[in-house]
Amino acid sequence: MHTFWNNFNEYKDRVAVVEQVGKAYTYSELQQDMERLQKKIRASYKQLILILAKNNYEYIVSYLAVLQNKDAVMLVNADLEESLLQTIIDSYQPAYIIGDVHHEDYKSIEAGILRRSVAPDYEIFQDVALLLSTSGTTGSLKFVKLSYENIAANAKSISEYLHLQTDDRGLVNLPIHYSYGISIINSHLHVGASILLTNDSIISKEFWKFVENEKATSLAGVPYTYQTLLRIGFQKMELPHLRYFTQAGGRLSEKLISVYAEYASRFAKKFYVMYGQTEAAPRISYVPPEEILNKIGSIGKAIPNGKLTIDEETGELIYEGPNVMLGYAKDFNDLARGDELHGKLHTGDIAEVDADGYFYIKGRMKRFIKLFGLRLNLDEIEKQLEKTLRKDVFCVGTDDKLFVVTDVMELKEEIKRLMEDLYKLHRSAFQVKVVEDIPRLANGKVNYVVLKEMML
Amino acid sequence: MNQQKLKSIFAEALGIEESQVTDTLAYNTIPEWDSVAHMALVAEIDDQFDIMLDTDDVLDLSSFAKAKEILQKYDIRFE
Repeated sequence: MHTFWNNFNEYKDRVAVVEQVGKAYTYSELQQDMERLQKKIRASYKQLILILAKNNYEYIVSYLAVLQNKDAVMLVNADLEESLLQTIIDSYQPAYIIGDVHHEDYKSIEAGILRRSVAPDYEIFQDVALLLSTSGTTGSLKFVKLSYENIAANAKSISEYLHLQTDDRGLVNLPIHYSYGISIINSHLHVGASILLTNDSIISKEFWKFVENEKATSLAGVPYTYQTLLRIGFQKMELPHLRYFTQAGGRLSEKLISVYAEYASRFAKKFYVMYGQTEAAPRISYVPPEEILNKIGSIGKAIPNGKLTIDEETGELIYEGPNVMLGYAKDFNDLARGDELHGKLHTGDIAEVDADGYFYIKGRMKRFIKLFGLRLNLDEIEKQLEKTLRKDVFCVGTDDKLFVVTDVMELKEEIKRLMEDLYKLHRSAFQVKVVEDIPRLANGKVNYVVLKEMML
Repeated sequence: MNQQKLKSIFAEALGIEESQVTDTLAYNTIPEWDSVAHMALVAEIDDQFDIMLDTDDVLDLSSFAKAKEILQKYDIRFE
């Protein structure tokens, strides 16, 4: 297995990382900085290092140094609320913390590096490389355990279908503690390309200056990113250096897929609609860009070296490949466990496949509710309503009540009528609610957990 | 009048008190004015003044004072 983090000397003076402030670092400098850190934190046993990550060079150095050391690294949002962070630290007791935090069990050995005063006494399974949370902001203690092979294999698959080359300059505009963000870094470093790091939002001038000045060849986004890009007129920007752009992290509306596919064809760029889960490091499938207009709404085909099937009984999408996680962890005790999934991931998504072998997500297994014995797919309802309304709506519910949420007051009556027409539901079985600010996660996705709490 | 109208749009979109909306109020200086709120603010300005802000103006709209300056281009006057 080609583990890219052991290979940086090969690329020497090529640029590995460019920061927003404009400073560039070569692969040789990156390797030297990694070694400098390794000397400070090396131990005779395998340890866990917690990184409170931002999109800056020093955190990339730390992440790669830990991988190269064969230690395990946990990436957490640097902006995570203090008490949630303390709970994570107490539950996992990392040997070192890289970032800005105070904790009574830790002493600072230099600016930005803390060491646990009493060395942790627990075992970590040899293959455990990276721990990522599946939710960036809630501070859940549940982490996905990825192996060295998971990371390397997924980086290789991604770089193949995106046709990454050494002269690519991939923009990392998603947080690196988010699986989609870190996968941009991994896939570019795998081929000796450059990554451009920014903490700025797509609605800031600095962001677009950075894209232009540093000649970014790609950018990435979740559905919310693409809704925002539409409003700021991305589809009119020529961006001569941009070779392709990718979308993952949830379902993008069919209307927006068309808009961006047409933009891509007009400016000779490629638009990749992709699907994945943190549990798969994270990429699982993609739509080849030349097929995008024929396969709108599809998650595409499995990535190179992966395989997708549908469970005949449940309709659940099953993924198999070398990038499937080892398992979950809830505290440090779970780090000793070995591989529990053996390369097979139950995605929890219900899917269908067409005659050409393209897969379509029909909903989450858990996003079903039963109203009067009627099995309702909340995602499907959203899709149906959006088709008619041409506006986003959000469904949450329990087994006795369905809530349809909109942020447009004027749509309320129309949604009621549609629900009665489409699903023959009695008015008492559902409520249409108007919420001005739809709750969102840090990555822009709808926070269904909070939305549901607001309704109940 | 437009001054007051814009003030309530800001307060509404950012979920803050009108008294907090002053000329120096700027993007990213309070937690309430993040990128998600910014897009809500832009949508609200578009709606209420019946205009469509250009790309540059959406990106430039970085403070309350700047918002007034930008809106003048769309023939919205502030005394």
